[in-house]
Amino acid sequence: MDSGDDIHDANDIESLNEDIESLNDNYDNYDDDAAAADYFDDDDDDDTHPAKSRRIEQSFTILKESDIRQRQEDDIRRVAAVPSIPHGAASILLCHYNWSVSRVNDAWFADEHEVRRTVGLLEKPVYDNPADAKELTCGICFEAYPLSEIETASCGHPFCFSCWGGYIGTSINDGPGCLLLRCPESACGAAVDQDMINLLASGEDKDKYDRYLLRSYIEDNKKTKWCPAPGCEHAVNFDPTGTGKDYDVSCLCSYSFCWNCTEESHRSVDCGTVSKWILKNSSESENVTWILAKTKPCPECKRPIEKNHGCMHMTCSQPCRFEFCWICLGAWRKHGGSCNRYESGEQNETEKRREMAKKSLEKYTHYYKRWASNQSSRQKAVADLQEMQSVHMKNLGDSQRQTELELKFITEAWLQIVECRRVLKWTYAYGYYLPDNEQAKKKFFEYLQGEAESGLERLHHCAEKVIQVFLSDDPPSPSEEFNDFRKKLTELTNVTRNYFENLVKALENVHDGNPCDLDKRPWGAGAMMNEMKE
Amino acid sequence: MTSSSNSSRKTLSKIACNRLQKELVEWQANPPTGFNYKVSDNLQRWVIEVIGAPGTLYANETYKLQVDFPEHYPMEAPQVIFMNPAPMHPHIYSNGHICLDILYDSWSPAMTVSSVCISILSMLSSSTVKQRPEDNDRYVKNCRNGRSPKETRWWFHDDKV
Repeated sequence: MDSGDDIHDANDIESLNEDIESLNDNYDNYDDDAAAADYFDDDDDDDTHPAKSRRIEQSFTILKESDIRQRQEDDIRRVAAVPSIPHGAASILLCHYNWSVSRVNDAWFADEHEVRRTVGLLEKPVYDNPADAKELTCGICFEAYPLSEIETASCGHPFCFSCWGGYIGTSINDGPGCLLLRCPESACGAAVDQDMINLLASGEDKDKYDRYLLRSYIEDNKKTKWCPAPGCEHAVNFDPTGTGKDYDVSCLCSYSFCWNCTEESHRSVDCGTVSKWILKNSSESENVTWILAKTKPCPECKRPIEKNHGCMHMTCSQPCRFEFCWICLGAWRKHGGSCNRYESGEQNETEKRREMAKKSLEKYTHYYKRWASNQSSRQKAVADLQEMQSVHMKNLGDSQRQTELELKFITEAWLQIVECRRVLKWTYAYGYYLPDNEQAKKKFFEYLQGEAESGLERLHHCAEKVIQVFLSDDPPSPSEEFNDFRKKLTELTNVTRNYFENLVKALENVHDGNPCDLDKRPWGAGAMMNEMKE
Repeated sequence: MTSSSNSSRKTLSKIACNRLQKELVEWQANPPTGFNYKVSDNLQRWVIEVIGAPGTLYANETYKLQVDFPEHYPMEAPQVIFMNPAPMHPHIYSNGHICLDILYDSWSPAMTVSSVCISILSMLSSSTVKQRPEDNDRYVKNCRNGRSPKETRWWFHDDKV
């Protein structure tokens, strides 16, 4: 595997829990802006919340537009605290120094003269207009104007309001370069600040300039990035001095992504593997388009089947009732919930060359199918979770006489499913790049992956299918039956969490350079497999 | 500053007309040394004769510049090219296009035809060798169909000539 020094890999098991909890918190706060804002507020003195201690350790902060403006203004004021730097000049200085207050201060106090020269903040005008003049000639239209209709930057070169407006407008329409606008006089270089823009530009141009200034604060600042989710306008401030290796960031819009590479969260697999995999997918996508076709024939009766649920356990409709795995199309009872191992078949010597090419595509297809299926399964789970929260929970509460708190186990199960589908998906990218010759490592990884996958399929099945009886139009009255369901789903959630913790931990040990040692399994796999028996 | 090739074909705005009339009056009163404005009634296209400065590679040679003004001159740069035959110069292509930053990215509305002419003459005068740019053939081929030099992405890497 490639693993550059600058690419930090996944975290520890604690952070898996943390992530689940933060997902949980995010979800709770989904419809509650105030609560969501509290979430990220370090000064929040709400000590009653159990996850509070963890929140403070978070190495990132989500910024809404109002937060961004506030921070930008605070930074400008910090620079403008130096008596010789007015507000407008402070903004220009920060633009030049990637919005780093300390860099501005360092440069300014090291060589104020040089900074003034490069940035274009003149101490006194370089162009002296006649002191007794009643009129001045605009340097662009060459018309004479009374002094009240002439404006100059710190250099003193006179231009009329209309020409300033045209000059500024042209620059703003050319793009964010307008933030470093200079006096029109060639070779002058005096900076034009936002105060002048606001005085001289049209309303539309002022708004555009303001937008560029806001974007610059996020895009030119090394500690901030926009959330990459489509339509999301939040930004993320990341503190690299924080908890170290954890690059997972989760935005208020509920999108989680990796701060380092801005791809969606891929914890347990490093950024290098992810980018290789995404590149491969885009170049191979035509070969595997057919895999993504919406329907597959039932392996038994050959009728076309459309998959509309998240879990891979399929049951053909009456009268066939054949149970099979959506991915490998094998009988469900034969592989007991997982078909993750890639098994290369016997090779015919005479067709070796042709087979090699075919195998390589087959191998890729094997991993890609599983990667893509888990991706869509995760999306379905997210939708199911939302439907559960918005529709079913209330009905369930009524029919089973359960409080919201008593039904929390269902949300927890779904959050676990969503998280596990994500982890599982990326383990297929990881698995694809595991060298074939490292058999022990591969076997160990596939074993853990298989265990985790089979646990997840049981959990997903239970949360999606077994629950249906309680959601029907004629639900059973409150009974032991529901308590059994609660017990089962809670247990499956816990067991699946354990499996995935082991999987993540094993992948991390690989990254840390400790080869997986089959003799030193740090967990009781046998015990867990027994627990899983239904 | 960028501009589309269309803008140069549109008629001049009132601001552009006023400014060009003032420039022309100033030019006729104080013509820059080494240049002759070829009188015409087309304010939007000036033709200017350039005479190579004495003591330079181009001494006693005469070339013609064609200057086309866009609708929003001077907010947008004029299009300046040498008419055929263009002088042999490392920054002047055989189709007359000139690689000079002030004609493109570094144009400023406070510049004038006169200041542009002086820059071009200075560029000619400082040349030490009469030759075409290295990528002349490729560039000229790409410019067929009458493409404006203002549509080219210029790299201004040589500030010596």
